[in-house]
Amino acid sequence: MDTVHEATAGTDVSVVVVDDHAIFRSGLKSDLGPSITVLGEAATVEEAIAVIQQHRPQVVLLDVHLPGGRGGGGAEVIHGCSRLGSDTRFLALSVSDSAEDVVAVIRAGARGYVTKTISGAEITNAVHRIASGDAVFSPRLAGFVLDAFGTAAVASVDSELDRLSAREVEVMRLIARGYSYKEVAKALFISVKTVETHVSAVLRKLQLSSRHELTRWAAERRLL
Amino acid sequence: MVLLTFASGAGAILYAWLWIFVPSAMDRAAGVRVRSGPARFINEHPARRAGRKEFLVGAGMLLLAAAFAAQQLGLPVQWGTLLPLGVVAAGAALAWAQLDDVRRAGLMDRAGAHRASGLARLLVGLVLVIIGVLVMVSGSIPWSLTWATLAATAAVLGGVGLVLAPWGLKFWRDLEVERAGRVREAARAEFAAHLHDSVLQTLALIQNRATSESDVIRLARAQERELRQWLYSDQADQAGTLAERIRAFAAEVEDAYGSSVTVVAVGDAPLTPGNEALAQAAREAMLNAAKHARVPVSVYLELGPRGSEVFVRDRGSGFDEAAVPPDRLGIRESIHGRLSRHGGSASIRSGPDGTEVTLSMPEHPSRDRGESNGHGS
Repeated sequence: MDTVHEATAGTDVSVVVVDDHAIFRSGLKSDLGPSITVLGEAATVEEAIAVIQQHRPQVVLLDVHLPGGRGGGGAEVIHGCSRLGSDTRFLALSVSDSAEDVVAVIRAGARGYVTKTISGAEITNAVHRIASGDAVFSPRLAGFVLDAFGTAAVASVDSELDRLSAREVEVMRLIARGYSYKEVAKALFISVKTVETHVSAVLRKLQLSSRHELTRWAAERRLL
Repeated sequence: MVLLTFASGAGAILYAWLWIFVPSAMDRAAGVRVRSGPARFINEHPARRAGRKEFLVGAGMLLLAAAFAAQQLGLPVQWGTLLPLGVVAAGAALAWAQLDDVRRAGLMDRAGAHRASGLARLLVGLVLVIIGVLVMVSGSIPWSLTWATLAATAAVLGGVGLVLAPWGLKFWRDLEVERAGRVREAARAEFAAHLHDSVLQTLALIQNRATSESDVIRLARAQERELRQWLYSDQADQAGTLAERIRAFAAEVEDAYGSSVTVVAVGDAPLTPGNEALAQAAREAMLNAAKHARVPVSVYLELGPRGSEVFVRDRGSGFDEAAVPPDRLGIRESIHGRLSRHGGSASIRSGPDGTEVTLSMPEHPSRDRGESNGHGS
């Protein structure tokens, strides 16, 4: 149920799978559709940065919790790669669902977040979406966003980073209810492209908002 | 220094100290850093501890030199007192050198000797104990004898204590380490026992029933839930809230029908009668979805200033609410009726791509708010 049901592009996408469990990596590789080419795998922070530098994939499927490095996990991989000037996009995968971890990896620059119980078709669609530059929000991530920014908060100016616009709140709410982007578009009488724009705007706010409450909020909450 | 050289070798000792510890020109050529003066020599010395040791040795030698000088100048120097004192100091230094920095710091910390007040308390305590003992002893023995005995006892005790203290400390530390290890071991054993009772049993069950997909999914979900609850047990204090109630119902439905039910909650609220009715209605909606649609169900709970809202959504084949026979009470009574009695409302939207049940409960339930079973957008 973790979002995104409609595929976007039919083109091939190259990925690197980063997870410290070999069983999960092999399961994920077999789940990915034929339109996705797995260039490499990694199990630790250092390995991940090296493999991503070597293969330069379009998308990295990144576990939030990883051994190695300075203990920063997935977020550290993203920081390491952005410092080296890589233009790879990241999709965070997690089993923990703790708000702290999710917010950390999104703020580090991941373009989306899904839980590990996601189905093969859904993960394939999510990878295509990330590759085409869109953001991928699971219902749970949308719930985090609404919890962090407040459901009633409405910005008077759209460019304001600390609040969601009325439309963005509506979109997040529908995604939290388990709607796909297409269903959100239909329910709000807007195009799928507009939904994607709203979701990307929310992602940007989540990444750039200077609200210290956001981090504190995440630290206080350990959602199951 | 030239003056001191005359003073019977006192200057020679000082020279020796300087020769050992002040970096030479060769040092400077080969050294990592240029040392321009005494202050820099202190600051840039690789290990500050080593620097301190040099200072102690230097200070001792200076004292010795001063004593020599005083003797040369005709002042009476009591070698009989100074020499034993020096020997005691050297012995204590040797014994204490066995303890590394960390242990010494730990000891100082525990005694509170770092803070002035802690040190004062320690000293006052010692003095009081000694006075107490003195008063007790002085009753039976004449004062002069008491003093002599006391001095001898103090000397012996002090000497033995100084030498044995490091050994005692070492044993104490080892004991502490061992105790910490036992605590860790106990925690690990508890962990292992829990994993054995839960995860391993479930894995065994899954292997036995590998042919039945629904059984495997149900077992895995139940185990996952149980393990999460155990790992994050601080969540338990949230029991009695609406979100917790709905999560518990979701777990129950999962166990009963094997479809996964994901709950996303934004905000939380205490379990008022209205919210209890909302949770019960949500349970009914989840049950319907799991029973008839047999697909994953997502539940979204939002609590805002306007009240509580619950959305239960499945991607099943949908159903026509009007076509449900009137004698089936599930939706009419358990969802609509229950909510309207508490001032809430429900709407059901169903189509070929799934069903969504919307349940809402306003913050201040009003009786005049009628039952709404219109089709939401």
